[in-house]
Amino acid sequence: MISFFSQLFSEAGFWQARRFSGRLFQRILALVMAVGLTLGLAVPPALADGVTQEQLDTITAQWEGSLHALNDVNCASCHQDSETKSFVAVPNQESCRTCHEQSVDTFLLGKHGIRTLEGESALTPALARLPMHEAAFEKSMSCNTCHDVHTVNTLQASTDSCMTCHNDTHTNNYFNSKHAELFEADRDLPRPSNASVSCATCHLPRHTIEIGGNEVVKVNHNNTYNLKPRDRMVADVCMNCHGVEYSYNSIFDDELVTANFDKPPHLELETFDLIRALEKRRSDNGDGE
Amino acid sequence: MAVSGRRGFSWRAIVNFRTVVALSCVLLMGWFTAAVALDRKEVFLPGESSVGHYLIEASCASCHEGFKPVSNDTCMRCHEAEMAEDVHGQKKFRDPRWAAELAKLEVLTCTTCHSEHIHMFDRGVHLQPDLCMTCHQGIIEGDLTSHDGFTPDGCWTAGCHNYHDHRSISTGFLRQNLDQPPMLPVQAMPTIEVETQLDEAPEPDLSKEFLGGAA
Repeated sequence: MISFFSQLFSEAGFWQARRFSGRLFQRILALVMAVGLTLGLAVPPALADGVTQEQLDTITAQWEGSLHALNDVNCASCHQDSETKSFVAVPNQESCRTCHEQSVDTFLLGKHGIRTLEGESALTPALARLPMHEAAFEKSMSCNTCHDVHTVNTLQASTDSCMTCHNDTHTNNYFNSKHAELFEADRDLPRPSNASVSCATCHLPRHTIEIGGNEVVKVNHNNTYNLKPRDRMVADVCMNCHGVEYSYNSIFDDELVTANFDKPPHLELETFDLIRALEKRRSDNGDGE
Repeated sequence: MAVSGRRGFSWRAIVNFRTVVALSCVLLMGWFTAAVALDRKEVFLPGESSVGHYLIEASCASCHEGFKPVSNDTCMRCHEAEMAEDVHGQKKFRDPRWAAELAKLEVLTCTTCHSEHIHMFDRGVHLQPDLCMTCHQGIIEGDLTSHDGFTPDGCWTAGCHNYHDHRSISTGFLRQNLDQPPMLPVQAMPTIEVETQLDEAPEPDLSKEFLGGAA
């Protein structure tokens, strides 16, 4: 309620200031223009006036070794409007969606993409309730915020990209875990193997879906999907490697979650005692399996 | 002092109940208009938004169509995947054995159980913890020996039951997987198949466009 009333007064105050003080309005206008001008000058040349030959050579070399190049996805595939043929300096998620429909559609349903889906300004770490790195506050979420679109190396997107924004204890403790040790073995690969555990392994997990009658493995980019209830992550992710009891005892141990699973769980959920008692009753009654 | 010295003028003639009400209405109208005009719609929020929705809390139209109640369609626009295997869905209540239960609580309407802008128990959208008791109170009152005396608000807050999708938490699932070792014999995530159509990269089809800015 307090915030409700403080909003009320700040709104009313601002409204009156705009209405009754022409001079203040002029000052605000001047400030807006000054900020706009500064931003205009601060935009990197890649966005405003094209890149240098040197930058272009680097990008071209990155692209030549990428899966995009080897699948005949050329510069114009993304940097040219398919209808008007006009040049597109910075393609957005709609361009990616032309080929990566499932990835973009799931991205838009999670926290990272939902503001974009709903026509709001894209998510920035400054808007988050979770602790974020201040230096990343103004990063705007789209595909290439996490993905290096020219190398198409997804190793970076699976862990390093997360670390540039997220600054909570669970994230920062990742490198103390066995999961991170496994991930280090993948460091020189273009994509994480199926044996390592990155941030994305759990939070943007690979899932098997049906597309056109075929079962295919895709990455679920809805980063919110398996967070709650926690049993969703157990079945989708943990139980690819761990037993059911170990998984549940880990994921319901808040301290262990904060420590990013740096040791085996010591929690013993009562649920499993109940199941064991049930099994015993069934076998005592002679109808056990 | 100057005012009170003036003859025939009384503050009470102006500052009475009616003018205060009228002025308050004008101020409120002004405030709402300003909020809409300045695109500061968060002033209309009646309470703290849930952890799942706060990022779009100023996008009223995402969930609300005017002043109509929030519909299932609105929720399903984003939450279809979560509801793909709903054990308390339409199918269950078409069964005559359970159909009458709907009279106790209209559980096929999302907003019967899930509330927004009001904090109860956090799980995405706020939820009253003891709702299961509407139909399942017998479970903790003698119908199921193992659950005798359990608290009415613990079914899902303790993490044991999942109302919509219990594939990985049902008794059957836990029995089937009981006594698995901490590390399963095979430890692997699904593998993504990657195909390539060409043996080497083609010639880049744009170049000067990048150097000269927008063509």
